[in-house]
Amino acid sequence: MAERESDTAAFSQEALTHLDTLYRGALRLTRDPDRAQDLVQDTYVRALRYQHSYQPGTNMKAWLFAIMRNLFWDRFKGGRQEDVSLDDLGDFALYDTLKDTSEIPETEVLNRIAAGEVVKAVEKLPPLHREVVLLVDVEGFSYKDAAQVLGIPIGTVMSRLHRARQQLQKQLYDYALESGIVPAERSA
Amino acid sequence: MKSMTCDECMQRLEQYVDRELTDAEVREVRLHLEFCPPCEERFSFQSGFKRLVKVCCEQEKAPAALREKLQKILF
Repeated sequence: MAERESDTAAFSQEALTHLDTLYRGALRLTRDPDRAQDLVQDTYVRALRYQHSYQPGTNMKAWLFAIMRNLFWDRFKGGRQEDVSLDDLGDFALYDTLKDTSEIPETEVLNRIAAGEVVKAVEKLPPLHREVVLLVDVEGFSYKDAAQVLGIPIGTVMSRLHRARQQLQKQLYDYALESGIVPAERSA
Repeated sequence: MKSMTCDECMQRLEQYVDRELTDAEVREVRLHLEFCPPCEERFSFQSGFKRLVKVCCEQEKAPAALREKLQKILF
């Protein structure tokens, strides 16, 4: 019994080291601080209940994320992972667009984009695309780990990621134009 | 070894930035980038973009009240 208690304590200790990460993920998914807190709390409650299914030494962050995104889809989307289609942006690439339309060095444009605008752009992505960006770009998951968390093939991770990044770049380009970071008169 | 073309290099852009290429593929890409400033510029822009998304989305911390509540639940 004492051994089981110390196992649970070690499990809880490790799980709590991922709290900030999970909270940020929950914020991006729900786009609401109260809902994010509820989602994280329920994730931990479920994790504790199913701790026997976690194999020590494996990727706990990925395991917790999988629990959280399943709860998110159950709760907020009625379990339906509907695929909202993204606008077809052809082969839009921010780098090429800036190269063609702006005299400001491309990387300098990135430096001038406000953090809040990037967060807004991420939160505007449809959830199925948003969660791939969260896992791979923000949390640094490999395609393989992201595929496991999301229950999709690696090829789908790659294609969603590509479309999501394109969408993000387009949104941030529009913002750069509107805010005058890129002079509008030179834009295509 | 025949070095890759710009097109072949660009096809590996996202996987390179995401560290998904094998060591051999990384070496091949780097060899190309070393001698191709236009490709090198694109690659560093794409890396910069990935970094921007990460840094901007990593700024919040969980509220103290949530942490306390979880500590009560977990311990």
